Amino acid sequence: MLIERLTDALGADAVKTSPEDLACYSFDAYSQGVLPSAVVLPSSAAQVSAVVKIARDLGEPLIARGSGTGLCGGAAPERAGVVLSFARMNQLIELDIENRRARVAPGLINLHLSERIASSGFFYAPDPASQRASTIGGNIGTNAGGPHCLAYGTTVNHVLALEIVDDRGECFTTSVEDLGYDLTALLVGSEGTLGIVTSAWVRLLRIPPATGVWLAAFPSIESASEAVSAIVGAGILPTALEMMDATIVRAVESAYAAGYPEDAAAVLLIESSGEPEEVASADAAIAKIVRAHGATKWEAAKSAEQRDALWRGRKGAAGAVGRIAPNYYTQDVCVPRTRLPEMLAAVDDAARKHQVVVGNVFHAGDGNLHPLLLYDKRDARQVAAVIEIGNLVLARAVELGGTISGEHGVGIEKRAGMSMVYRTEDLAAMACVRDVFDPQAFLNPEKIFPSGISCREMRT
Amino acid sequence: MNDAEISETLAAAHARHRPVALRGGGVFSGMHRRVVGADELDLRARRTILEYEPRDLTIAVECGATAAQVEQTLRERRQFLPLDAPNPLLASVGGVLAAGWSGPRRHRYGRPRDLLIGSAFALADGTLARAGGMVVKNVAGYDLSRLFVGSFGTLALLLRANFKALPFPECTRVFLATLPAGTRERAFAQVRNLRPEPAAAWWVAGFTHEIDGDEGDDGRIAILLECEGALLERATLDWRAALGRAGIPETRLLDAGAHAAFARLLDAPMHLPDAHALTYRSPSLPSRALDLADGMADLVDRFEMRRDVLVDVMNGDITIRAAGEAPSFPRMVGMLDDALHDLAPHARILSGGGDAHDRLDCFGLLPNALARMRALKERFDPRGILNPGVAFFDGLHT
Repeated sequence: MLIERLTDALGADAVKTSPEDLACYSFDAYSQGVLPSAVVLPSSAAQVSAVVKIARDLGEPLIARGSGTGLCGGAAPERAGVVLSFARMNQLIELDIENRRARVAPGLINLHLSERIASSGFFYAPDPASQRASTIGGNIGTNAGGPHCLAYGTTVNHVLALEIVDDRGECFTTSVEDLGYDLTALLVGSEGTLGIVTSAWVRLLRIPPATGVWLAAFPSIESASEAVSAIVGAGILPTALEMMDATIVRAVESAYAAGYPEDAAAVLLIESSGEPEEVASADAAIAKIVRAHGATKWEAAKSAEQRDALWRGRKGAAGAVGRIAPNYYTQDVCVPRTRLPEMLAAVDDAARKHQVVVGNVFHAGDGNLHPLLLYDKRDARQVAAVIEIGNLVLARAVELGGTISGEHGVGIEKRAGMSMVYRTEDLAAMACVRDVFDPQAFLNPEKIFPSGISCREMRT
Repeated sequence: MNDAEISETLAAAHARHRPVALRGGGVFSGMHRRVVGADELDLRARRTILEYEPRDLTIAVECGATAAQVEQTLRERRQFLPLDAPNPLLASVGGVLAAGWSGPRRHRYGRPRDLLIGSAFALADGTLARAGGMVVKNVAGYDLSRLFVGSFGTLALLLRANFKALPFPECTRVFLATLPAGTRERAFAQVRNLRPEPAAAWWVAGFTHEIDGDEGDDGRIAILLECEGALLERATLDWRAALGRAGIPETRLLDAGAHAAFARLLDAPMHLPDAHALTYRSPSLPSRALDLADGMADLVDRFEMRRDVLVDVMNGDITIRAAGEAPSFPRMVGMLDDALHDLAPHARILSGGGDAHDRLDCFGLLPNALARMRALKERFDPRGILNPGVAFFDGLHT
């Protein structure tokens, strides 16, 4: 019945039901979920609406999916249902350079937008590491960040308006210019649990006229962390401030020969953009600070090629780690910047105690850590150790005033962790929002909330 | 009153179905309707700076803290929070957020909500809860802090707001220029494309008592440069050259007086010369802002009222103040209000003499997602005790 009705509404070529197709949509970059009942590839908001109405009639949940690059199971079905893939809704619908905005369909690949508009002198700022593959709709779902959100902010700071299909298949719109509650901000980062994005207006920024990229090497991860706090505390906000530890540096060098010093205990990759004078003064000021914090090397990229090589190493770090271990698990926590040394020490302690190799590659300027835990999934001891370390890292981040996810989201992976950072009252308030938008939990069910949390009735 | 006392007060009000009117600095009170028949809960004494770690570039304040107080705290460490609040000595952080206020520097630094990273709040039944935190990136769960922005205090009572701060610009310079006849469109286009980008820019016609600069045949412009010292003089040369290409022969620079001039520009939209005046703001796209502003100005002229106009060049907002004479003023603004909303459906009242905002369509076109907003209101405040009738969420005004 489900398949027939979906096929009638969308056409046979937009409904996938073969076991191999379903298997492809049963997981994301984190986890294996269950097989969906069907996968649909709508071409329009009207088709999304039709799918929602059919699925709802038949009691099937709906899971909106971009490219499946999510790292916490946000797009993996937990209760079968219908997966909506936005591969066919990938258009740049309207480009309005004069007003510095673009309207995009949710399936547009993040990087494709910046590539399409580069000749106009503009770019789209959010740049998650997955930007070559991930979609803007998916980025909206997780409020994706990236190395450059230190200066530019995350996805929520760049979404101007949304068109949404709700849990009943009805369409509504929101805009940051709207009077009243900021539903745009609420919907961004809601992981497809409050509505399905069918198009978005996003902000475009002018490409800065000058960009400098520098590499600083440190004898210890502590000295590098302290340099990060000192840079930010001195009133310098680079466009990116990324850290890699020795494990990552060696992996990257062996994979890409990016030009990182292999004897360094930590490397900072720093980028500053703006007017040439601003880049020059950032260069001088940051050089002074990193030297005062014991940097053993300070080097500016002298050409666009060298700049790209330094960034290629950073952006390919996770891939490079894939060459030195059979498996790795990426954790994502965020702490106040000044607590970075303590957080890194905690990661190191936990990894040593459990005899697991850890590599740290992260957005240091934001205090957003990504410890990569290297393991072999065929070894049960290692798997158990990685899970234990992951939990220790979450707990320590919360103790240090941080949060359990800086940019990857909650999905399935961190549902239980939500209770570490929020009290029941806090979660119940969120559950009330869920209840208003999707009382029967048709939209991406079983995500975000730990078990036992519901919209508590008000006092009487 | 501490958090626990607020919790008790709301719990008691909730139990007795007794409405509560939240009171802040009153700066944004012209933007909403008056709350009637409610007990006032004055939040102005709750103004403690709760946490400030300059090396983290984050600050947490009680929501009764004024914009000026936050600015002063941050300035001591050469940081700032671009709330762009009018009347910052009075405007509370809670008021800025509740009104959904956003100012002329938002294209550069973001809106207040963009800098908001966490909050603590009391729900209508007195339950204390929080969202977000003190970290600059956080995707753990729904962003309730930002949901409450623009709520006019109707969903929850904001107790604490956490923000990310920014490094304070080394230099601030205001450029003032009088526009000769026929130069306005070119000036507007040049300003939109200036490098470095202005922190804020306005085209002004009128507001002669509030805003610096001499009026020309085509009005005047004011541009705010915020930059590093190394850039100041080159930027000044480039900007002057660009304005010269638009046919503007002279530009006056304010350095020592730049902050004060900028403050006056922020205050102007809320300033009413007398009781027979009314100020609207309409959002617009920058590319359409001048045409829409002209249309709105023509309407005010047609009703034989005096007018002042302020256009935010970078963001497109149009602010227009209409002033008339008693006794015809109430009748005239009623007609003007209808005509303005035909032309600019999203125009909303910022400030008005007398009971203008209670009588007129002060919100303009209501949002497309109104039904969701009302459902949220119903769920979060089922007895309607938080600021009843202040806006359109509870259906008391339709």
